[in-house]
Amino acid sequence: MKIRFDIISWLIVVGLSSVLSLGCKDQPGTTETTSSSSTKSQLPVDVPRQDVFVVDQIFRYSIVENFNLWMPGPPSPTRQGLIMDTLWYIDQETGEPINALASQPPIYNKDFTQMTVKLRSGVYWSDRVEFTADDLVFTVNNLKSHLGMNWSTELDLFVKKVEKLDDYTVVFDLNLPNPRFHYYFEVRYNAVWMQPKHIWQEVEDPMTFKFNPLVSLGAYEYADADPAGYWELFKRRDDWQRTTAGMLTEKEGPPYIMTIFYGGSERKAIAMARHELDLFMNVDYEAFQAVLQKTPTARSWYKSFPWAYPNELNGRYFGFNLGQDTVLNNKQVRWALTLALDIVDLQTEYIGGVARVTAIPQPATPRLMELYHDPLEEWLKSFQIEIEEGQFYHPYDDSVTERIANWAKTQEYNVPTDASKLRLMFGTGWWKHDLKVAERLLLNNGFTRNANGQWLKPDGKLWTISMIVAPDEVDIYRLAIGAQDQWADFGLKLELETLQRDPYSTRNYMGEFEAISSWGNATSGDATADKWQSIFGLHSRFYTPVGKSTAGSGSSNTLRIKSKEMDSIIDELDRLHPEDQRVVELGQAFMKLWIENMYSIVTISFKKFVTTDEHYWTGFPTSENPFIQPLYWFGGGRFTLQHVEPVSQIAPNR
Amino acid sequence: MNLLKSYLLPRIAQWVITVFIGITVTFIIPRLIPGDPVERTLSSLGSLQTLDPRAVESLKEALADLYGLDGTQFDQYINFWKRLFKGDLGPSLSAFPTPVIEIIAKGLPWTVGLLTTSTLISWSLGIALGTLAGYSPKRLWWQIVDKAFISIYPIPHYILALILVMVFSYYFPIFPLVGGASGKPTLSWTYISSIFEHSLLPATSLIVLSTAFRFIMAKALTTTVAGSDYVGYAETAGLSKWRIVLFYVIQNTMLPQVTDLGLSLGAVFSGALIIEIVFSYPGIGYSLYMGVFQADFNLILGITIFSIVGIATAALIVDLSYPLLDPRVRYK
Repeated sequence: MKIRFDIISWLIVVGLSSVLSLGCKDQPGTTETTSSSSTKSQLPVDVPRQDVFVVDQIFRYSIVENFNLWMPGPPSPTRQGLIMDTLWYIDQETGEPINALASQPPIYNKDFTQMTVKLRSGVYWSDRVEFTADDLVFTVNNLKSHLGMNWSTELDLFVKKVEKLDDYTVVFDLNLPNPRFHYYFEVRYNAVWMQPKHIWQEVEDPMTFKFNPLVSLGAYEYADADPAGYWELFKRRDDWQRTTAGMLTEKEGPPYIMTIFYGGSERKAIAMARHELDLFMNVDYEAFQAVLQKTPTARSWYKSFPWAYPNELNGRYFGFNLGQDTVLNNKQVRWALTLALDIVDLQTEYIGGVARVTAIPQPATPRLMELYHDPLEEWLKSFQIEIEEGQFYHPYDDSVTERIANWAKTQEYNVPTDASKLRLMFGTGWWKHDLKVAERLLLNNGFTRNANGQWLKPDGKLWTISMIVAPDEVDIYRLAIGAQDQWADFGLKLELETLQRDPYSTRNYMGEFEAISSWGNATSGDATADKWQSIFGLHSRFYTPVGKSTAGSGSSNTLRIKSKEMDSIIDELDRLHPEDQRVVELGQAFMKLWIENMYSIVTISFKKFVTTDEHYWTGFPTSENPFIQPLYWFGGGRFTLQHVEPVSQIAPNR
Repeated sequence: MNLLKSYLLPRIAQWVITVFIGITVTFIIPRLIPGDPVERTLSSLGSLQTLDPRAVESLKEALADLYGLDGTQFDQYINFWKRLFKGDLGPSLSAFPTPVIEIIAKGLPWTVGLLTTSTLISWSLGIALGTLAGYSPKRLWWQIVDKAFISIYPIPHYILALILVMVFSYYFPIFPLVGGASGKPTLSWTYISSIFEHSLLPATSLIVLSTAFRFIMAKALTTTVAGSDYVGYAETAGLSKWRIVLFYVIQNTMLPQVTDLGLSLGAVFSGALIIEIVFSYPGIGYSLYMGVFQADFNLILGITIFSIVGIATAALIVDLSYPLLDPRVRYK
């Protein structure tokens, strides 16, 4: 017995000693902080912690050290901005176009069949070769001749001929008139990245080429990566001034940028508390509150409530499958469902009051509110729906922001008193919560209630709506639960079918749903005035019947809308240059059409808890200084990251 | 010769049939899911960049050709077997053109290393402790251990894993949050110790729960064997307790435990998804998970082949080892 006890005691002592010695010892291969031992950094790279800016990688790469970003595959957040470059960018915060490799905006001929590009001089690849017109011409021809590569079929469709006039001038002759041809070279998230001709012209099979060793055109070059795909490390180029990111910002950026995938919200919160993550894209509301409590140096867009970044150009909606023969094909039924929702309750109790409300299919960002929401306000106030023959009703409620502000005050949050500031904080008006009118609309369309107050369809059957939702997209899930609760109070049963993201997307594209809680589609926007990008795919010539995937047809019409009025708006828009005065008018006409038919119930704009820890690094844009987009994972994030600089003095135990 | 005909050959034939059917079913099932890899790619592209619907049809055709999905499903099946016999699992469709074998080769060593080690440790520990507890059930020490394992056993794996992360990565941040090692792979002590450091929490979560299961199983088996005549006779004959435990008890409880070990080791090729997600540990579980949701037929098939062959082979080895372990099987 004694021997056994001694063995067990010895094992416990050795085990504990190993754990503690491993946990407490300093790892030669890891970085360390200068603060207290409780925040000792264990980043997996051999770089001083003060030299590396650590950002959230969003997902784990299935493969690393393959820099052929011209092949379809998983998107490449952050990476593309650090090492690639193209002609133009649109800053997603300000809406300002940025001339990057091009020295000026595109020059079109009168009928949009020719585009001339003037290139910037003095930009160099990381192997000290200058970027010139040869690279642009080569890239276009190389992609055109390898169908299957990104942008290949579009370039093949539109480009008749591309040639250089001199080292800094390129002319595109187009097969078809296209006033938006430059969009292929203009980054929102992604665009045609340039290939160094002196490397790629030697490549036998561009579709399997890994482009490794990488020759970078960004301010950073590849340094290291985790073979398992959890992290990548990029080193600032010695000649960063000879890149467009360096030239345009005149800032050097951190010596190293490391992207790292920690996983879910709770793990990102832990990593930030350990000061092993300087910037993340998003977490859920609860994790963000934990970050605020545990990491005093962390903040999001707003320093205090409502914290989150509200200007990403997308929106949430409840959509209905109009390709199926259901009661939801009746626009009065859709209006009844809209009026049975209480947006203030949805925005506050389910979303925490941290997103902007929008009634129209356009994100409520400051710039787009100026172009669309504000000019449409009078129209919305005077807009009427017919609830019974000859009886009209004004559904718009412009008191929504004020009521959200009142809720915020009850939560002891500080909110502005000025109406225009409240509108910028909480968004626009929305539709009235009017159950009586909703009831009249349904009764008028043959619906009845049973003894329990539940709605019966015109055929006498109990009315239930089935809605698909992906819970990992937290806001659409919470909004769906809110709708479920509110419609239940109205006597309507909403059944939520929760799906993992990919089957959810497949069902969405195939039209295999009755209702959906979703985002994007017509509710997504562009930082510019042009609505073309988010509505062109709604044209009926791309209509895809239920059972066939819209992804395979290029249509964005997942709701299966058919409208001649919409087609004529899109046709006219398609012929105009995006800076034509008429573009905004057509965008507004589209939105009016959408509202009149209530094709989908648009609720709120996107919000993201883009959060920085200012323990080591500062200079990231905030609501007080919104000089550039905080969307670092977009291609234009290359300019944002360049502005990041070290905190000069790190106080002990800070 | 008789053993070969009546025992070995039927089991080897069974192995071949199991593997063939398993692989065929795995080839078919992902193709029954709505949507395909081409549409997955197109939808992904459409959400990231200007994708003109007028150019989508030709892109669709080009991608189908590129991914090898342009023939009938039977043609694809025949091509798959031809490739497989050459050791080629094809390209990953979600990380095209990276070969599936390359993705598996990067993840598999982590999965196999972690799961094999933790399975062997928990198996040895569970049997040793369970046997001793079963043989001396009235000892206070073993009663405490028994109660402890019975309390631990029902805890869901992910809960224990989360507790370990919270305690040792957050409240006492002494373990790393992500990855399988630090620095470049070398044969240095620094790198090897970093592997140990990164794997300690995931391994602990696996070992604790698996040991609890195996402790309960070994104790139950020992309790039955300890009451048998031959153990009573050995005790009457005055043999030492260690000798009785080793040669009379453990030897007679070994058969089901070897089966458990064999099948557990065979299953390591299926990956450990919860471990990878909770501890951000490398491995093939996450690749398989992503492959399923991205309709990456080749990746699903590649990882599943390892799993099917692993489990079938483990079952075969266990089957073949029975005559060696148990004379009763041999004599039959």
